[in-house]
Amino acid sequence: MSEQRTLDLALSILDHQLTDDEGRRCGRVDDVELAGDLESGLTVEAILTGGTARRGRARGGFRRLLRYLDHSAKVRVPWAEIRGITHVVKLEHSAHELRLARHDDRARRIIEGIPRS
Amino acid sequence: MNKIVGVALGVLAAIGGFVDIGDLVFSSEAGGKFGYQLIWAIVLGAIGIAVYAEMCGRVATVTKRPVFDVIRERMGFEFGLGTLIASQLVNVMTLIAEVGGVALVLQLLAGLDYRLLVVMAVLVLVISIWLLPFEWIERVYGFGGLLLIVFAVAALHLGPDWHRMANGLVPHPQGTTNYLVLAYFAVGLFASSMMPYEVFFYSSGAVEEGWTPESELTLNKITAIFGFGVGAFLSISIIVMSAEYFLPQGIDPNTLGTAALGPQAILGETGLLLALLGMFFAVGGAAIDSSFAAAYNLAQFFGWDWGKYRRPRGAPRFTLTWIVVFGLAFLILMTGVNPLYVTEFAVIFSVVAMPLTYLPLLLVARDKGYMGQYANGRLGNVLGWLYFGIILLVALSAVPLMTLTNLGQG
Repeated sequence: MSEQRTLDLALSILDHQLTDDEGRRCGRVDDVELAGDLESGLTVEAILTGGTARRGRARGGFRRLLRYLDHSAKVRVPWAEIRGITHVVKLEHSAHELRLARHDDRARRIIEGIPRS
Repeated sequence: MNKIVGVALGVLAAIGGFVDIGDLVFSSEAGGKFGYQLIWAIVLGAIGIAVYAEMCGRVATVTKRPVFDVIRERMGFEFGLGTLIASQLVNVMTLIAEVGGVALVLQLLAGLDYRLLVVMAVLVLVISIWLLPFEWIERVYGFGGLLLIVFAVAALHLGPDWHRMANGLVPHPQGTTNYLVLAYFAVGLFASSMMPYEVFFYSSGAVEEGWTPESELTLNKITAIFGFGVGAFLSISIIVMSAEYFLPQGIDPNTLGTAALGPQAILGETGLLLALLGMFFAVGGAAIDSSFAAAYNLAQFFGWDWGKYRRPRGAPRFTLTWIVVFGLAFLILMTGVNPLYVTEFAVIFSVVAMPLTYLPLLLVARDKGYMGQYANGRLGNVLGWLYFGIILLVALSAVPLMTLTNLGQG
């Protein structure tokens, strides 16, 4: 997304669904990477999803639980990759190209072993 | 004509979602213990689930967000994670109870070993999910669940006391001294009507079917009111039948088999068969709903692709999740745990998860920023907050009542 926009990060971006160029759901906005400072203004450089981006949002027992159960890797998606924001955050390229939803590929290999999948 | 068929099928699906093993267990036992006294708890619960189901269907239609999207986006990551953990525990407990219930019904029908029938129950449910399209799952199990109408026929044969039934619509204890047990069953009946898996499933279905405000909001309203209304009618029929048949004989109908004896005594073998088949489909449908609710919740929280409309390979982690929760339920049932105990635990603990689910839904449904012209009106807000208050009260009292009454045994 190239144009300058003012966004309410908490309401419009954070925790929203990510979809790729084919409309496939491929994660959530777990965190954002900001540049600049409060005086000159902050800009969003990238959105972060999975792994430590997600664990960083949790505290105490929740954090320990995620560390134990959630082994996904953090993926950085540059802001320029965002095609549009509606009820979801739409991306320009496929989940595969952006290295998102890689666990889906592993799960698919298991599911494809079952007839009529 | 298509619209009428659509409405009828939607109503059917909602009936299937309303009557599950929790309703069967609590209704038959409440009727056998307290007669007509607790009919009000079912009516209260049915209005509550209709209010919140209408809200979640409207939110899903307008914003294209199912309930778990709403919970995470509106309340944040940690609140969402807490709600996810609580609701997944309840979903798995519910699934154990429902699959165990299907096995118990099969045992009554076929008389084979219970553990073998657990295997059969899991296989039948998993294969029907795998092979049937979404709408056919709803139709087969929804239509089959309607066989429970045999309880209404049996109740009418027994000649219900309409005056006492009307009295039962107003909460006031009559001729009982065990107020704690009465309160426990009131909480159980209310909670089993409002199990959160119903809204997880309903709202995700609305998103999957691509509902739009122009064409489906009326359908949503009718489905919520009539579907859950007819479901409540079936539950009340079970209470009435129990009150008229078991209470005078001093029988406590605390098993599924005993509950089915009522229609048998009045309508013969056909009555028993219809009751058992109705239970099989109603409880089986609820098992599918709760397994999907678990998969929907996890997928929506983490942003995975989800949906029964996609082929299993199109939403692989979603598919693996419902398979894994069925496997988990199977393993736990094979230890010999009594599914009827699990039912009571699932219903009572679902109350604790209810405020976490219903508050974000209410906040979004009344928010004009999200919903525009489709936000709650005055009536929706009043009913929403009123029911949220009731849910909080019930949530605070459920576990103490369960402990103090030893699961309603006094």
